[in-house]
Amino acid sequence: MSLLRVRGLDKRFGGVHAVRDLSFDVHPQTIKALIGPNGAGKSTVFNLLTGFERPDSGSATFADAELIGLRPHEVVRRGVVRTFQESRLFDSMTVEENVLAGMHLRLRASMLGAAVRAPRVRAEEREARVEAAHVMRMLGIERHAHRKAGDLPHGLRRVVEVARALAARPKLLLLDEPAAGLDGRETEDLADALLRIRDTGVTLLIVEHDMGLVMEVSDEIVVIDQGRKIAEGPPLLIQKDPAVLEAYLGEVGDRV
Amino acid sequence: MNAFRVRQWFGVIVAMAMLAVPLVVTDRYVLKVLTFVGVNAIVVVGLALLFGFAGQVSLGHAAFFGVGAYASAFLTGTLGVPWLGAVALAVVLACVVGWAVAVPSLRLKGHYLAMATLGFNEIMSVVFVEARAVTGGNDGLGNIPFPSIGPLELRSPTALCVLVWAVALAVALAARNITLSRPGRAMRALHATEPGALAVGIDVAAVKVRVFALSAGLAGLAGALYAHAVGFISPSSFGLDFSILLMAAVVLGGRESLLGPLAAMTAFTLLPYSGALLPGIPRAVAETIQDWVPDLVGLTVVLTLIVRARGASLRFATRKQAEAGEDS
Repeated sequence: MSLLRVRGLDKRFGGVHAVRDLSFDVHPQTIKALIGPNGAGKSTVFNLLTGFERPDSGSATFADAELIGLRPHEVVRRGVVRTFQESRLFDSMTVEENVLAGMHLRLRASMLGAAVRAPRVRAEEREARVEAAHVMRMLGIERHAHRKAGDLPHGLRRVVEVARALAARPKLLLLDEPAAGLDGRETEDLADALLRIRDTGVTLLIVEHDMGLVMEVSDEIVVIDQGRKIAEGPPLLIQKDPAVLEAYLGEVGDRV
Repeated sequence: MNAFRVRQWFGVIVAMAMLAVPLVVTDRYVLKVLTFVGVNAIVVVGLALLFGFAGQVSLGHAAFFGVGAYASAFLTGTLGVPWLGAVALAVVLACVVGWAVAVPSLRLKGHYLAMATLGFNEIMSVVFVEARAVTGGNDGLGNIPFPSIGPLELRSPTALCVLVWAVALAVALAARNITLSRPGRAMRALHATEPGALAVGIDVAAVKVRVFALSAGLAGLAGALYAHAVGFISPSSFGLDFSILLMAAVVLGGRESLLGPLAAMTAFTLLPYSGALLPGIPRAVAETIQDWVPDLVGLTVVLTLIVRARGASLRFATRKQAEAGEDS
């Protein structure tokens, strides 16, 4: 049984065939890594799955409901939440406010209710702050709660982005290069956090270049090259797959 | 919790003190100017939500102000609708017009949104002149009834000023509450990054339209209060120049601020009356200030933007350095 079932996903941008007839499955409560050389179409796959781009054809069924055709916020409502390769934090807001914004769909307060601070709204806000604190603690960023996101160093920003996504209580979390720009220790912490997140029952699909991290955390790997799937399987098999080694030739030295 | 109580009481005291101002002032002319301050405060709070928080430009707010003013004046004066009902209908109408403008325009961004709302203001300026049956055309619309609830009629300048300030205070407080909770975070989020906002499930298009309608509604509310407070309105009060003045106040007041735009708009409102408000000031100086108000406003905005751009780039530079330091 798979939580996410991608079938025949296809997307062209003008002359570029970014994603070609891509099919794969993500099983519940596992970490799946989507890897491939630069420009292989990994981020495009994320955009297609989350409503930021429309595929030319193909389907993506999540818990028996079709994701393709939904708008981005509707995808979030289904329980599929993503992060970006380039940080998209709300820079003018504090870390806590970023995490609270991540809970947007789970809170109810309307303009009117908020304007008059209805008791219901106040209670909701109080509970939300408790939960935000919990999410921040889980990722070890609670002491930065009241700093502005725009003032944070790069490594922390990546973690806040994961926290914000997690605050939406996703069933499936899509992380686009969460370790990009992190140093060795930060990457270690991230690996621990990803495993902890999986153990709380969340399923993860990650795009990542750091092969150490990929091999450490993923249960399964799907490899794409020029938009096409060239291999799929558990980490140990992928590492020895001749097609993968060939695709990575030239990059293989410094990455694996 | 205790600190919160203290702040709450502090707020209550400040509010009471503000509402007491119109009771202390006796000069009818000054009271009228203070009433304008309150009216403009309501509009600028709405625009601060729209532009300062949600990042959406409007150069058409004078038109929404006009829609509220004419609607409420027409409903009470010509159709005999009770004041409170007329004001409520005027606000609803301004909201609906705002919504109708927002749905097509908010697909646009930045300069294009500015042009679309500017065009709307110009169209409405023509409508206010040409729809003579409702607006009285260039001659204006007079004999607008005073605010009244049942047998109670507010006609003294003091009562009118207290009414407007009470509403302004309530609006400012409500706006502040909005900015501090879920809908406010959604506005600030889409201002910061639309893809980021979408990724946390914010329906960016819907939030924009809602804020625009709310903002237009507040302008309409201010317009309605203005009409009943002064008793006479004409198209010149609802032109593009007022829209620009409002935007200038929000730009000057700063991003994600309510007090800033309020302070700036209050200054802009008082400036033309400096001669009357500051007894010591020589007549010639007061007249010069009055003549040069638009230039002073423009100059202040340009200077603010230059200073702020420099400040921002300084901040940026230090952050880059900090990051570089951490890498090594």
